[in-house]
Amino acid sequence: MKMKKSGIVVLLLISTLGFAQNKSVDSTKVYKKRVLESSEIDFITSYYLQDGRNAAVSGGIGTEELSDFTSNLVVSVPLNDDDILTVDAGISAYSSASSSNINPFDGDNADPFLASSGASSSDVWYNFTGSYNHSSDNRNNIWDARLSVSIEFDYTSFGFGGGYTKLFNEKNTEASVHANVFLDSWSPRYPVELSSASRSFSIDDYTITGNSDYNPTFQPFSNKSRNSYSLGFGLSQVLSKNLQTLFALDLVFQQGLLSTPYQRIYFSDIEDSFIEDFQLADAIELLPDTRLKVALGNRMSYYINEYIVLRSFYRYYFDDWGIISHTASLEIPVKFADKFTLYPSYRYYSQTAADYFAPYEKHVSTERFYTSDYDLSGFYANQYGFGITYTDIFTNSHIWIFGLKSIDLKLNYYERDTGFNALFIVGGFKFVLDDRKKSIPKLLNKIGF
Amino acid sequence: MKKILLLIAIAISLSSCAIVKEYEMVNINDPDMALSLRKIDRFEANFQAYREAASGANGGKTGGGCGCN
Repeated sequence: MKMKKSGIVVLLLISTLGFAQNKSVDSTKVYKKRVLESSEIDFITSYYLQDGRNAAVSGGIGTEELSDFTSNLVVSVPLNDDDILTVDAGISAYSSASSSNINPFDGDNADPFLASSGASSSDVWYNFTGSYNHSSDNRNNIWDARLSVSIEFDYTSFGFGGGYTKLFNEKNTEASVHANVFLDSWSPRYPVELSSASRSFSIDDYTITGNSDYNPTFQPFSNKSRNSYSLGFGLSQVLSKNLQTLFALDLVFQQGLLSTPYQRIYFSDIEDSFIEDFQLADAIELLPDTRLKVALGNRMSYYINEYIVLRSFYRYYFDDWGIISHTASLEIPVKFADKFTLYPSYRYYSQTAADYFAPYEKHVSTERFYTSDYDLSGFYANQYGFGITYTDIFTNSHIWIFGLKSIDLKLNYYERDTGFNALFIVGGFKFVLDDRKKSIPKLLNKIGF
Repeated sequence: MKKILLLIAIAISLSSCAIVKEYEMVNINDPDMALSLRKIDRFEANFQAYREAASGANGGKTGGGCGCN
């Protein structure tokens, strides 16, 4: 039964591709270059590892160990000469020591520097995005629209948006505007010692040490939604035969539950209570329910010669939570041996702390807002990357009716001055639908269509 | 801020004085010259949006769609 369903899905996909390709043959009575020549499939997968000692789940101390495996399939189909439909489906499975400590009391000794085996120690995130892109006959006007849905154990997101791009000055200048809306909602999970809804945990079953009169004031969040509205502008310019630049401005306004419900706070003016070696929460993170973010970015690409290109990026960012950030990166693609390109890169990042951030035990209970999430602390970070790409523009290697166009492999190492570090490896395979005039109809005939 | 606005003004003014014809754009059209993120870089941009406060203006996430900062 399962096989039959999978077969139907595959046949529908093939029919869609076949329809798109066949239709395009009829629509080329007047010659114009297709926006996308053939259907493309990108399979991208990544493995991510991080570690640190400032977990927000345990109030700014504790293990941040996390691993994540993600895969995405992106299918782009030319519906005709002017229109492209893109479907992007992704799945991500993670295992997190810090979020496992939403409930650290699993029978072994509870400790913020050790992972618990609780239900929140791992989860799966699903994402689906569909986008549609239309170009005018002269290719100087491009419209696009997108819809997205993503789901994880405590968070659901529904997004939609669109954009318009105008090319002028003989395609030397490109101006774009795009807008996106995300309507997200939390299914809040609170630290287990605060949540009366927990069936697996009763504080009366444990001995509280330190301040044995543990009596936190805790109110679950009543507003569980988070809406984000973004407006972006881009202006790119060809400056010479070898140099081009892009300026981008993004404005984002967020409203709703911007705190993360399971992140603990420990106040310095409240006596500490413990179960085993784990300190019980005095409160949970509390942040304002609005945030305005402004990001200004610049990209430059300089073609030095047929072997070397320079790609730079700089971003200045600020928001009304008091964070100011600078990001600068440089990538130097180096082509060699016809089909290979190396991608060494370096990225520098710095940010000031949010007004509401203080480390472990530095907040006091009279403050209005508080967080010990080190992602909102002041820090700087260095990232070193190295990638290699194999490209075969003639797609000589095939898997079924798909020609292999490129293989990418990239490795990045990221480290902060706070001790946090991360390693991620990404692999990508790009295929193009080949022999479109013969293979699909032949295949459809074979299977009785 | 003033410097960035000045750079934008310079970029706009340059557009009127040095038109590169389409047939001269061989180097500009090299895939490595693209002024956008490569598909392989999307996870990197997502990771940064999760682990850092700043986001946007880079073709990646700007905010929303995840329980992140």
